[in-house]
Amino acid sequence: MNAVWRFGAVAGVAVLMAGSAAAQETVVWWDFLSGGDGVRMKQLIEQFNAEHQGEVVIDATTLEWGTPFYSKVQTSAAVGEAPDLMTYHASRIPLAVQQGILQEITAADWEAMGLSPSDYDPATLDAVTSDGKQYAVPFDTHPIVLYYNKDVLGEAGLLTEDGLPKGLESAEAFTATLQALKDAGVQFPMGSVTADGNFMFRTIYSLMGQQGGELMTDGEFLAGDNAEKLQNALSVLAGWTEAGLQSTYTDYPATVALFTSGEAAMMINGVWEVPTMMDLQSQGQLFEWGAVELPVIFEQPTTYADSHSFAIPANQGKEMTPEKRAAVLEVVGWMAKNSLFWATAGHIPAYGPVTQSEDYKAMQPNATYSALTANMIFDPKTPLAGVAGPIFDVMSTYFVPTLNGEMDPAEAVEAIREELNDLN
Amino acid sequence: MLRHTTKETLIALALVTPFVAIYGLVFVYPTIKMFLLSFTDAPLIGPGEYVGVENYTRLTSDRRFDTAFWNTAYFVLLSVIPGTFAALGIALGVERLGGRLQSLVLALFFLPYILPVSVVYLIWDWTLNFQFGIAMHVFDLLGIQRVPIFKSTAWFMPAVALVTIWWTSGFSVLLFLSGLRAIPKEIYEAAALDNASRWTTFRRVTWPLLWPVTALVLTIGLIAQLKIFDQVYLFSTGGRPNDNMVMVYYIFQRAFQSDQGGRAAAIAVVLFAIVMIVSVLNFQLMRLSRGRA
Repeated sequence: MNAVWRFGAVAGVAVLMAGSAAAQETVVWWDFLSGGDGVRMKQLIEQFNAEHQGEVVIDATTLEWGTPFYSKVQTSAAVGEAPDLMTYHASRIPLAVQQGILQEITAADWEAMGLSPSDYDPATLDAVTSDGKQYAVPFDTHPIVLYYNKDVLGEAGLLTEDGLPKGLESAEAFTATLQALKDAGVQFPMGSVTADGNFMFRTIYSLMGQQGGELMTDGEFLAGDNAEKLQNALSVLAGWTEAGLQSTYTDYPATVALFTSGEAAMMINGVWEVPTMMDLQSQGQLFEWGAVELPVIFEQPTTYADSHSFAIPANQGKEMTPEKRAAVLEVVGWMAKNSLFWATAGHIPAYGPVTQSEDYKAMQPNATYSALTANMIFDPKTPLAGVAGPIFDVMSTYFVPTLNGEMDPAEAVEAIREELNDLN
Repeated sequence: MLRHTTKETLIALALVTPFVAIYGLVFVYPTIKMFLLSFTDAPLIGPGEYVGVENYTRLTSDRRFDTAFWNTAYFVLLSVIPGTFAALGIALGVERLGGRLQSLVLALFFLPYILPVSVVYLIWDWTLNFQFGIAMHVFDLLGIQRVPIFKSTAWFMPAVALVTIWWTSGFSVLLFLSGLRAIPKEIYEAAALDNASRWTTFRRVTWPLLWPVTALVLTIGLIAQLKIFDQVYLFSTGGRPNDNMVMVYYIFQRAFQSDQGGRAAAIAVVLFAIVMIVSVLNFQLMRLSRGRA
């Protein structure tokens, strides 16, 4: 009697489980989006879950950005406990591929998602590619842009007819604009994250790119005249400090505060601060502002960008079922097609049909700065690169003293080259 | 009465086994693994090839290891002895107070100790931030040039040492207080009858009788500060991490940022050896000096 009863219970539970499994796939999702973009991602996830009721449900967890996130992914994939889907910085993919923790995105996968690689900007797609194979699906690109206070620049007569800052075409012209702001009594013409060399990497690498420079050539750091190009980039910024044109020893939150309080007239920062400005303005607490592609300080317009992408972990000793994989691909495809909303977080959606849509072109200031997509450069492809990676730390150590007038740019470049080549 | 020696042995074994098992599992086994790992080129996860002592020999020419080593030594120098004396001073002061006032003052000094390091970091960042820190406004009022305390190498270690003393001295104060209370009142009375000055009383009575506690506080501080990581990591985020490198930070950087488990293990072994040597030396020195006192 007892045994029969137990058997019946077990069978019942089994039927229940099988039933729910066939009806609904749960996609375990990890991301590192905790700011304004995190709020928007949660809305997208809720919308997805509502539209896929009974079929697919996303079970999302937000983890700590940077090294903690990537360490956790790596360790959990090694023991088969990684999620089904996760956000990933394109710049960290080379390390992940070396560690073998990502699954390849195959041609069949692209088809299942209803997307095509040709819908993506080649540079962005290349950023998620390693040895000719794609390891993630780009969701956005998030470059840095130049934010400016239209009220202050307008008063000083430094706006063009299109409402853009004057002097975006050369180093001399831009420095003249900064100087004119200084002369007009602005305390900090440029709010610059000078206390955080990690952050300044984005600006300085962009300026290297404007000279056609590379950080890594065939595995060697700052080869040939690239050291000189880095020195040129540092010299321009150090010159601004020397002339009192930018804030010194300012960390990230302080920079944003200097700009939003009106003490700094301009600021170079990531597009992810767009929602901050939007929100403040809608509360009537902000001046008229704009955001535009970085000024061309050297020969060609170039901006550093990274990409938030979706990657599928390779769980050790745990095969993903075809049903699960289909559900994961459904999520990624849906997210790409609905990424217009993601643009409100400031990021530029990576999926071409979205940025080409009329709706996107009507979005400001997004439509103004998204022209820079054609001029983007990404991190060098090495396991040492990327957010919170070793290259960032080396750079930061020497950028901070250089940008605050404590160290000579030439001396910094020499030390950076030695330390970078020490990393290997 | 006859003793059941076998039975006693069995009981003893049964009582000791759980501890030995857990100690072996979470301490001895990982430590042995760490030693073995340090002779391989393993990444953070998974095995690696045997490379002999290469991970150690390359440390001799590793500039960042040098920085980490000397910074750690500098930090220990700045935090352990000044921290001990600060705590002793506070304890002597608190001891002279009475009743509720004493409890209140003691609580104020102990309060920072209960804070997690992240809160400590935020409090001091609000105080010393170059653009918005409260202290900088005071500097402006006094006409002193603002100082980027956590962004300059000259100020970084002294500032972090000061923060650490502020944060952790509460516990040392408690140890000193209990030591002070254990000194019999009669000795002080006798000293007073002999017309001993306050300084003589301290030098001849308090200091020698308090020495065991002082030695304990020094030893605890020494071992804790050799393992400095959290404060340095938080205060140098985005700043100049490689200039402010300390030993544990370097282990973290090699293991988690550069994915080089073998090289990280080698540094960990070196730190392990340093802590062992320093602790033994410290213990011997304390014993010798007590013998003289």
